[in-house]
Amino acid sequence: MLIRFWGTRGSLPVSAKAAAIRDKVVGALLAAEGRRFADAAEAEAFVDDELPFSTAQTYGGATSCVEIEADPDAFIICDMGSGLREFGLESMRHCAAGHPRVYHFFLSHLHWDHIMGFPFFVPAFVPGTKIVIHTGHADAEQALRRQQEEISFPVPFDYLRADFEFRTLEAGTTYRIGAVEVSLIEQHHSHSSYGFRFVGPDGKTAVYSTDSEHKIDDMEGEADVVAFFADADLVVCDTMYSLADSVSMKEDWGHSSNIVVIDLCHEAAAKRLALFHHEPTYSDADIARMHSESIRYEELTRGSAPLEVLCAYDGLEIEV
Amino acid sequence: MAGGDLGWTVDSRGTARVVAALGRIDERTSAAFGEGLAAEVAAAADDGKTLVVIDLAGIEYMSSRGLRGLTLAQRRATERNVTVVLARPGETMREILAISRYDMVFKVHETIEAALAG
Repeated sequence: MLIRFWGTRGSLPVSAKAAAIRDKVVGALLAAEGRRFADAAEAEAFVDDELPFSTAQTYGGATSCVEIEADPDAFIICDMGSGLREFGLESMRHCAAGHPRVYHFFLSHLHWDHIMGFPFFVPAFVPGTKIVIHTGHADAEQALRRQQEEISFPVPFDYLRADFEFRTLEAGTTYRIGAVEVSLIEQHHSHSSYGFRFVGPDGKTAVYSTDSEHKIDDMEGEADVVAFFADADLVVCDTMYSLADSVSMKEDWGHSSNIVVIDLCHEAAAKRLALFHHEPTYSDADIARMHSESIRYEELTRGSAPLEVLCAYDGLEIEV
Repeated sequence: MAGGDLGWTVDSRGTARVVAALGRIDERTSAAFGEGLAAEVAAAADDGKTLVVIDLAGIEYMSSRGLRGLTLAQRRATERNVTVVLARPGETMREILAISRYDMVFKVHETIEAALAG
């Protein structure tokens, strides 16, 4: 099972401004300390091995869209954030090479940042494409049609030529969908959100849990979340806020913190965690700091087996 | 005395109640810690105190549930016009307060005396 991140930003797409790129170039030049590179390969090795990620690259700014490559006969995609546009184009290249034109979407919920990529999903315009949209929400079709009404978008939903199917799934039930087993859990978020647990044909497990607030007045209820994460090979989790923010100014905004999620993963004996749904106001340096602090917190609170803490970025691939 | 199987001491100092827990505040002990704090805040208010100092010197580490217990105690205290402050965090607790940004929502003092002095 391969997890590929097409969009990792929370709430709103962002892009690096000119000044941010300039700062990265300045940082790289200073780190190079005047050295010369014989060729591009040598320069690339310097960039990859000696520069911090936040200097050499970027976490990206597309909103939630995560591909789970586990089924040779269908694409599996979690959420339709702005990262979906690029995934759609890439998937069409695979289809041109013979991949079946079948897409299974799993929608955590229907908020803007999780569906905004859909009007730009080119495969939806192609006859012969099968698109199945799975979610715990019975109003998913309404949400997708509404964002393509004339007041919001020039191309109406009915113009799309793919064959659509909307499937409402029940939390607590396990479904076999193509080559994977999928179950879902309802989460605390405005209009509810759903986390998904995928078990691949090789038995590997990946959990996608975003836009989930772990309420301060319902900590006993976290036992259900721990059970849902249990022994997962990878948990992709909303870690948008600091704990202090999540219990103060941003309480009830529907998001989690890095340290609550680390505690849940520890309790669940999960093997790896990918920090996800990054705060849009965060720079690359801010996200890198949050990542290093998360690694440190994991070390400080580790009971037995270590939890590997990764930080998702647009373009990251994780082999599970 | 409160706090389940945690080591727990309480000291009355003028208008303040100084509460100290001992050990690790994790998923096993956090509920008792939270209940203990709530009881101490109520006791302080009933006793006419205006300040609760939570002495962290004996706390090995605190998970997010323990930290959230601090917030719940702070909320209860605010309802009763009692202020909650933290004192004497060890190196690990200091790191956890910084990582969680709890050092921005609680006043953290180096000594009990400093906490009492405000």
